[in-house]
Amino acid sequence: MSWLTDPAGEFADLTRAEQGVTLFVVAFAIYLLFGLLRGTLDPTYFMFLLGLASMYALLSLGLNSQWGFTGLINFSVAAFFGIGAYGTALMTASSSPIAGGFNPIVGLVVALVVAAVIAVAIGIPTLRLRADYLAIASLGLAEVIRRIVLNEQGLTNGSAGVRGIPSFFEGWPVLATFPQSMPETTIDPVPGGSVTVAEPVFGIGFTVGQEIVLRTPFWRALLNVSLVFVFLGVSYGVLRRVHRSPWGRVLRTIRADEDLARALGKDTYSFKMQSFVLGSLVMALAGVFYAHLNLYVSPGDLDPITTFYVWVAVILGGSGSNRGALFGGFVVVAIREGTRFLNQISLSLDLGATEVVFSFEGLGGPMRLLLIGLIIVVLMRFRPEGLLPPQRELIWPGTVDEVPEGPDVGVREARGGSDE
Amino acid sequence: MRDRHEGANMGKENVVLRVENLEKRFGGLVATDDASFEVERGTITGLIGPNGAGKSTIFNLISGFYEPDGGRVEVNGIDVTGRKPYEVADAGLIRTFQTPRKLEGMTVREAMLVGPREQPGESFVKLFTDPEGVASAESANLAEAQRILEEFEIDHLATQPATDISGGQMKLVELARAMLADPEILLLDEPVAGVNPTLRNDLAEQIRRLNEQGTTFCIIEHDMEFVMKLADPVVVLNQGNVLMEGPPEAVQSDERVIDAYLGGDA
Ligand SMILES: Nc1ncnc2c1ncn2[C@@H]1O[C@H](COP(=O)(O)OP(=O)(O)OP(=O)(O)O)[C@@H](O)[C@H]1O
Ligand SMILES: [Mg+2]
Repeated sequence: MSWLTDPAGEFADLTRAEQGVTLFVVAFAIYLLFGLLRGTLDPTYFMFLLGLASMYALLSLGLNSQWGFTGLINFSVAAFFGIGAYGTALMTASSSPIAGGFNPIVGLVVALVVAAVIAVAIGIPTLRLRADYLAIASLGLAEVIRRIVLNEQGLTNGSAGVRGIPSFFEGWPVLATFPQSMPETTIDPVPGGSVTVAEPVFGIGFTVGQEIVLRTPFWRALLNVSLVFVFLGVSYGVLRRVHRSPWGRVLRTIRADEDLARALGKDTYSFKMQSFVLGSLVMALAGVFYAHLNLYVSPGDLDPITTFYVWVAVILGGSGSNRGALFGGFVVVAIREGTRFLNQISLSLDLGATEVVFSFEGLGGPMRLLLIGLIIVVLMRFRPEGLLPPQRELIWPGTVDEVPEGPDVGVREARGGSDE
Repeated sequence: MRDRHEGANMGKENVVLRVENLEKRFGGLVATDDASFEVERGTITGLIGPNGAGKSTIFNLISGFYEPDGGRVEVNGIDVTGRKPYEVADAGLIRTFQTPRKLEGMTVREAMLVGPREQPGESFVKLFTDPEGVASAESANLAEAQRILEEFEIDHLATQPATDISGGQMKLVELARAMLADPEILLLDEPVAGVNPTLRNDLAEQIRRLNEQGTTFCIIEHDMEFVMKLADPVVVLNQGNVLMEGPPEAVQSDERVIDAYLGGDA
């Protein structure tokens, strides 16, 4: 059985939460598709959103492999993101004060090495101690790194930021010139003109079928999305495999009760270090992508708000669950970007003599935080384990062939095809 | 006061665990005060003493959870004083805890699988370079876990969430899991505290069976009936120091031991 041959059967096998999330994702995809067809959602902007969402998904996967797997509290997500972004920017950008001009692959490697070194450096003094020490140290680290980036002009250009970052595929055959070499493509979703599906009364009806023109910026965005999908696919594949391995089992034991893992002869310090470095690498990867997407990095990119969003994503998705982190990352971007449109909405009521106008102008920012706050409160009250908590049993695939009975969480090792 | 402490029998033949002049202070409180004893291979050695005598502290010192302020710990002839818990485990010693430890989000058999030592799948690199090796070790460990659960007659719990079983069953699972680590000596801290009489007998039976199969035990327990039935010799600890050691009958009738338990100054 698979999703291709028997989607209804597969769907019925899911847990309630999984069904809900699946329906939500499908509905949201359809909504976006209509946006594209109606011409209200620009395809290039859509690609940008997809890239941004994948970037947050990467950050969430990184934090999940620290907090979700092992219980390590890391408040320096933004810092490791920044290390990734600045690492590659300083190596590749034309305006880099220290190196510059290197191939982005070199930038990627340098960024990852620097992130790993800093993760080890912060891990050595803190991971031997109780969990709260890492939390405090990481809070400090985030600020220290932000200050260094802001003030060490000779090293980072300070508040001016680093400009002239090449695209990731600069210097590659074919891909380097792909966006320019693609012809301007016109897509006509409904051949022969537009179709009005319903009269646009009360804003419910709509017209589809305007021509969509894809130009160079779209192809560039498409290339970027492909890149982040590769990053995301590789990270997800690796994390999924290690999570359900004996290695991941030791991490989950540490999270539940570190002393127990120690008593059973596990070198918990080493495991915590591995988990911490692994997560930091995935975060830095997100930063590398960002630098080559935006082509400009500045100290503002290290603002702690990113850390906050990523924590929300992981908790929302379900700590310890890779697909939860993936989903959480996408939802957070949907909220972040969705609330931008609030600024454009205005409601006018005609009450005879006076006309009352409600405008959401300027409310996007506060509404965003309010919405996230509400979501967290509701979640903690009704579903503290998150929307897609990890499966109840994680044993190396192919080893077990019986399904544990039990009504609650879906355990589908039997077919070996389940997530996590 | 100290002169009434005759100490343990030192100089045994085949020693798995040797504790010499161990000391531990918490601020002004001396929890372990010049404690020495030996555990002979193949025995079930009892460790008793009134509340606060320093029994758990000694276990923590032996297993590397606490750093001693003085003295020496030897496991299988290897000096493990001040070593990390995993290094002590490498030397062949595994310990359990006074309060049962539950593993959230795991099934019983999954929690059991944390037990085996040196699993290839615990190496991050091998997960990618040798997935077949990882899978075959995992299969073997799972079969072994299943076998031990059956021996303990709790195999029906295998796929239950580890947080859903009773405290007594948890104690059985802990013992079973510790056995998966294949220790030469197993330190049990109050294995039957809070366990109902039926399970208590089960546990005693299992410990005796495992002992006959070659595992050495050192057991802290307040349940005198349990200790006296199972352990020989019994080491009595009082105020951080070894009061005496002897066969269960001798210990039970010793006046100093009775004094210590009645709260008198031994
Ligand atoms: N981590 C610690 N910090 C401070 N004092 C401690 C610590 N651990 C133990 N103690 C003290 O050391 C003394 C010995 O405690 P320990 O737990 O070893 O006793 P015990 O013999 O195991 O008692 P029980 O039978 O109640 O378990 C007690 O007075 C206890 O309060
Ligand atoms: Mg105790």
